[in-house]
Amino acid sequence: MNKDQDLPLRNDIAARFVPKIIILMVYLGTLCSTFTFFMIHSTLLWEEKLATHLSIEIPFFSDSSSNDLQTQVTDLLQKTPGINKVEVVSKTEMKTLFNSLLGEGTSVDAFSLPAIVDVSLNKRDAFNVENLEMRLKNISPLIQLIDHRLWQSQVSNLLFTTTSLALFLTFLILCSTLVTTFFATRTSLLIHRKIVEVLSLIGATPSYIAKQFQRNTFKQGFFASSIGAFLAFLTFLGIYFLFEKAGHTFVVTTSFFFEVLAIFILAPFITSFFMMLSARRAVMKALCS
Amino acid sequence: MSEMIGELLGVGHQYDEGPEIFKGVSFCIEKGSFRFITGLSGSGKSSLLKILYLGLKPKWGSVRLFGEDTFQIKPTLLPFLRQKIGVVFQEFNLLDHLTIIDNVSLPLRVRGVDIKRSYKHAGELLEWVGLGDCLKSYPPSLSGGQKQRAAIARAIITRPQLLLADEPTGNVDDEMATKLLCLFEELNKTGTAVLITTHNQRILKKFPYPQLALREGTVLQLPVEKKAA
Repeated sequence: MNKDQDLPLRNDIAARFVPKIIILMVYLGTLCSTFTFFMIHSTLLWEEKLATHLSIEIPFFSDSSSNDLQTQVTDLLQKTPGINKVEVVSKTEMKTLFNSLLGEGTSVDAFSLPAIVDVSLNKRDAFNVENLEMRLKNISPLIQLIDHRLWQSQVSNLLFTTTSLALFLTFLILCSTLVTTFFATRTSLLIHRKIVEVLSLIGATPSYIAKQFQRNTFKQGFFASSIGAFLAFLTFLGIYFLFEKAGHTFVVTTSFFFEVLAIFILAPFITSFFMMLSARRAVMKALCS
Repeated sequence: MSEMIGELLGVGHQYDEGPEIFKGVSFCIEKGSFRFITGLSGSGKSSLLKILYLGLKPKWGSVRLFGEDTFQIKPTLLPFLRQKIGVVFQEFNLLDHLTIIDNVSLPLRVRGVDIKRSYKHAGELLEWVGLGDCLKSYPPSLSGGQKQRAAIARAIITRPQLLLADEPTGNVDDEMATKLLCLFEELNKTGTAVLITTHNQRILKKFPYPQLALREGTVLQLPVEKKAA
């Protein structure tokens, strides 16, 4: 005989619907956590890019002076210490960018577009942007230096908002799982009231009775949340392949991949552990009051 | 003076707004005592026993068991008080989803005895009460008498300090009833106080122990009857 068979909980009608709810909750919870991490990593990458990149706009002139300006600017940039990489945005890239905004078939040549130079810095803190801007204005007052730092605080706000919202949603999902477990255990206690009463009268402590519910809830919770986590993992793989097919990257960093993997592995353990505590609380509250 | 393990003082009870079943019931249970509670059907014998095994809270009076006031005791300590009491319920209260050996070994398991040892004890006891071939049977497949014997085995397996039996011979023949009473006597000799409700006159004559008679809502101490030949 097993330790947890004093109460016939395995085929409990009160708990029949619980595994299905747990599967759904864990599925939603793990996906929500995955997207939280995706948002965190993507936004951090974006923030890092904003912090170490500058853009320089060189105005378009109909004569050859545009090309001269571009050469002077790139020469200056390459000689400036603290700059890691200087890259002029090509016509093809500009065309791709414009086509995505104005539709296929739009001719870039029809516009008097400025040349864009993407500047990658070694370290933001050690670089004097104001000094560079002054030297660029000496070449031509029409040259614009765009400092992306202005966006940084907005990106931080976005990161904070999305992370908080996603964490709040995950917390709500966990809470509803625990509340469901709590009430299912209370219902189960009512159904088995007679047996619980006999156990109490022959000297079983509330803790002994609670352990029976705990073990059953842990097993049930672990099994159901494993299914939920597995289904969420399949969904994650589906999204990954859709992103790859569309030419985008879903697994933005290696650490993101390992964090997501940890979520899928740990979700059944964490969920069933908290469910077990919830079941114990339900029994102890009912029997010790 | 013998050690007192239980004391009822002015105990009275009524269910909801119904009539009083009994009132002002006072008596003591000494260590190693053997008593019968007698009375007509509905006189409150089972309710009195229920109060003693802490399955019912009386409306009036006070109950002390093993030196503890059962009204004042913390709920967390109640199970430990109950562990000192063995109960044979009138309706047996065997758990239908457990085998007989599981039912009988249950009080040992709830006290933390390992399964193997509890099975060994339960097996020996069931053999003694004549249920050696029913160890793996389930309660619904047993007769009333067999259930009764299993319920008795479950009540005495822990060698309780106080044994409360509600009509333990109600479903068995005279031979088995005598055998079970002899078992209670053996247990009593080891120091267990025994309190049995019955209205079986043959048993009362055969086992001349003091009686507490519940009559018209009060309890009377009856003299010891002469042992039947």
